[in-house]
Amino acid sequence: MTVTVFEPGSEYVLNHCTKYLARAGAPPPPNDEAAAEAFRAKIAEAWRFPIIGLMRVADAHPELNLVTFVYKTVAGDTGSIQVLGTFGELYRPIPLQPVMFEGEDTGYRAVSVGIPKAQVHTYKYVLDGHYFVDPVNSQRVTLGNGRVWSRFFTDGYLQPLVLEPWEVRILYRLIEQILPFRGKEAENFLKRYYFGLNREQRKADMPKAFRLDDSVGEVNAIDKLLAREEAHRLTDYRLCLRQIDRVLRRQNPFLDPADTPAEEFVELYEKMAKSHGSGDNPIPGWDYGEYGNPAFFLYILRRHAVTCAFSHPKYAGNVGAAGWAFLSERYSDPATGTLFDWRPAIEAPLGTSPYYR
Amino acid sequence: MQDSFDVIVVGSGAGGAPIAHRLAQEGKSVLVIEKGPLLRPHYQVPGERSDFRRDEIYASSAEKILRVPGLANTGVSYYSSHVEPDINDEPHVYKGAKGQDYGTMEGYTAQVVGGGTQLYGSVSLRFTPTDLMLKTFNDDRRSPINNDPNGDVRGEARDWPIDYATLEPYYVMAEEMIGINGTRDNQQKPFSAVKYQKPLKPNPISAFAHDGMVELGKRLGTNIEPYRAPLAVITEDHLSSGRKIPRDASGNPDPESAKTSYVNRYGDPLGLKSSTWVALLSPVMEKPNFSIWPNCVVTHLVSDGAKVTGVRLLDPGGAERFINARIVVVACSAIESVRLLKLSAAADENFDRRINRNPLLGRYFLTHCFGGARALMPKPFDKSKALDADWATDCCATDDFLEANGLWAGAAIYNNTSDQALPLSLFRTYGSQDLDTLWNGFMSATEMRGDKFIDFLDNEFGRGLSISFMANQVPQFDNRIELHPRVKDKWGRPVAYVIKDWHAHDRYLMDVMAQQCGNVLRYGGDPVNHDYPIQGQGSIYMAENALARMANHILGGARFGNDPNDSVLDPQCRAWDFDNLYVTDGAFMPTSGGANPTLTIQANSFRVADHLLSRI
Ligand SMILES: Cc1cc2nc3c(=O)[nH]c(=O)nc-3n(C[C@H](O)[C@H](O)[C@H](O)COP(=O)(O)OP(=O)(O)OC[C@H]3O[C@@H](n4cnc5c(N)ncnc54)[C@H](O)[C@@H]3O)c2cc1C
Repeated sequence: MTVTVFEPGSEYVLNHCTKYLARAGAPPPPNDEAAAEAFRAKIAEAWRFPIIGLMRVADAHPELNLVTFVYKTVAGDTGSIQVLGTFGELYRPIPLQPVMFEGEDTGYRAVSVGIPKAQVHTYKYVLDGHYFVDPVNSQRVTLGNGRVWSRFFTDGYLQPLVLEPWEVRILYRLIEQILPFRGKEAENFLKRYYFGLNREQRKADMPKAFRLDDSVGEVNAIDKLLAREEAHRLTDYRLCLRQIDRVLRRQNPFLDPADTPAEEFVELYEKMAKSHGSGDNPIPGWDYGEYGNPAFFLYILRRHAVTCAFSHPKYAGNVGAAGWAFLSERYSDPATGTLFDWRPAIEAPLGTSPYYR
Repeated sequence: MQDSFDVIVVGSGAGGAPIAHRLAQEGKSVLVIEKGPLLRPHYQVPGERSDFRRDEIYASSAEKILRVPGLANTGVSYYSSHVEPDINDEPHVYKGAKGQDYGTMEGYTAQVVGGGTQLYGSVSLRFTPTDLMLKTFNDDRRSPINNDPNGDVRGEARDWPIDYATLEPYYVMAEEMIGINGTRDNQQKPFSAVKYQKPLKPNPISAFAHDGMVELGKRLGTNIEPYRAPLAVITEDHLSSGRKIPRDASGNPDPESAKTSYVNRYGDPLGLKSSTWVALLSPVMEKPNFSIWPNCVVTHLVSDGAKVTGVRLLDPGGAERFINARIVVVACSAIESVRLLKLSAAADENFDRRINRNPLLGRYFLTHCFGGARALMPKPFDKSKALDADWATDCCATDDFLEANGLWAGAAIYNNTSDQALPLSLFRTYGSQDLDTLWNGFMSATEMRGDKFIDFLDNEFGRGLSISFMANQVPQFDNRIELHPRVKDKWGRPVAYVIKDWHAHDRYLMDVMAQQCGNVLRYGGDPVNHDYPIQGQGSIYMAENALARMANHILGGARFGNDPNDSVLDPQCRAWDFDNLYVTDGAFMPTSGGANPTLTIQANSFRVADHLLSRI
């Protein structure tokens, strides 16, 4: 794979990293995981690294994200830091360059590369022949050989990263009870809408998005939130889905929990809403020692469900903008047309704004 | 790196940019130092790509957790804009009702070149002549002041050291240079010239607000009618900044492209919203005598006798630098400016003695009395094609209204159009009172699901209309900004500690004004019986069922005045005991004005620029 390096300039890098990385204290030495951990813990939004940005119109590559790796050292450091990742040629690390401010070294080293959207990659930094994971980005994967690599994904990646297939299936069923997409009318709408998407979009989105007959792919986006911005909520999902699985298996020992009839999911939802943990309204089969507050999990899930169904499709839910399209069709005026005309505000090709890029 | 300038301006928002612009135009060497990044609209990035996105997650992020140890709300969730200062890194702490300390979003503006004007709703109202002379007005009034048993209001009201006539030409200048659309007719303030651009057609839902405001004027007996809310959004090519309205396929200007509802809390990718960056700073960017350093935080002002010799800053890499200047202008927004002055005093005995010549620095901190009412209109409209506001009325700002209602000061009333227009903003503000309680209402309304969710959408989507008021808060000595004794920012510097309460008269005033906002909806929603049902009516001071709407304004803390013993700044916004230190963000205000403050901050900053030009 050849990879193209872009040069968005020092201003671009500083605009996207200073708020997070500039702070008191020295950056961790390379390959010191304990120091890196302490450093990372203090950064308010460490998940923003590497920076997943957008290409310029002039680059003529709308299918790429501009991915910027930033490494922090001290100004004047002459070590030559490089990044090696699955997005490039395997044995050819790419050097990071000093980021300058008013002609002086800031101590940041950065490189920007174009990487196709909807991909996941692993990478490491290289310094003096030593390989080490990104001290800032907390996304990690352990490969088959036991080695730990840093991970990132680009916009619109539709495969689950942190949720197991069985978790994904149960989540869709539970979220069905929350979102307005169940019921014949909505299902018909979604079918029609997905069918009407142009071929290219269908090719890109459809096979990957799970259960698009009565959803807008919101669980894909929840998975991405849990992999990155809201990694702190992954434990809630892990623990709670295990309890849900337990409760459902107890109810229907011979049924895959994800195939539980809808009424029973409704019932479970209602029970969870009433069970706050302090021993009130216990749900039979739920181990409160494992996860104490089922209602709290529903709160998180409600926020995630709507956020993921109605946010910009780059977050991997609201596939093909189906969530927006649903609103746009449901709310319309016979005389003036739709009452949620989202397209003119949004960039092409998703929307129709001739100006906004 | 250049290390000496005629003028350093700290902060690139409403209070800093007008001075930087004027002085750079006049050939002075100017450095603007800004803590936040320089984000640009698409046409300014070579190769084209906007740094601002129409993306609801940009305006209110994924969940973050407050991790500052030892606060009463440590561990709570919060959601902030991508350009707000992060409250884990740089919290503002306030004292809650039971004396406990909380971290808050309140009073936070944006940390980006352009400051709050990048995110603002852009409502750009003038204050009234009475707003600038509330002491005189209340000394001379005929009727008693309600809910003020101890006479605090009369005791604490202050006239500004400049009157409306002095400020007026600078309002004109600001309206022209910033790029504001609106209408002059029906405004109850004198205008020597009208520089407004033409407003766009209002969103159809605002017709209810218009009709309700007309009726309110009639009922109050003055027949004062509404006018188009002045908005800092250009609708025509803007000469002084060189900005152009996008051209459609046939080459015609397409000003309607500004209407997207990605307005309040969003930077504008098209550069039509008149942030101080696109309106004032980018036009002088190419001048050799102008520099702007984004991503740099000023940590101290350094003094020698009556002179501030320069500033210490941390550059983007965190290295400390010292830069000299003949004049230093501080415009970090009121809370952060007071903090910077206090941190400088803590590090420099001379500075301390001079800035703290009286005990007033940080005192008389002000926000606005603020609130309104909301109702669902009889049918839905496409609110996603809107700017932030459409109509405003001055009928509750006249001296007669104040006399008749026992009020010390008046309010502007206007309707919000873009609020809750986009799906996530509708959900996350459901049942929430302010930025600190975003999402809570929706998350805990577990009964809203499936069909009930559809019912909710059917009911609410495109139907909400809210009316807001913006009024003066009574100045109180005890309302103040301090340095927090314990909590530090990410650089290890004490953070700002906000201590404030409402006066009984504030509460009374807010009830009166919220009622007027409710009336606008009652009258406008039901033109026959004038009693359309209201969903919520309330003000910022109420904990429950309040419509304490989001953006708040932070003002005062370094008020200007004629008496060196009663103010921190002189009438030119110069610190009394310094020859060359100026403060020009909202901190200079002795009273908060009966309208959104930004246009007044900008006008005053243009005024101070003229003064500075007369001396360097
Ligand atoms: C969502 C929102 C909506 C609003 N809507 C309206 C509206 O409709 N109408 C209205 O009139 N007002 C509105 N406001 C308020 C308006 O933004 C402020 O009144 C205005 O920006 C204040 O100007 P300022 O100069 O005091 O501060 P700001 O404009 O905030 O500028 C201060 C700047 O200083 C920088 N800074 C701070 N500390 C330092 C430091 N130590 N070193 C370097 N730089 C520093 C900050 O990063 C910031 O950019 C709104 C605000 C928000 C957030």
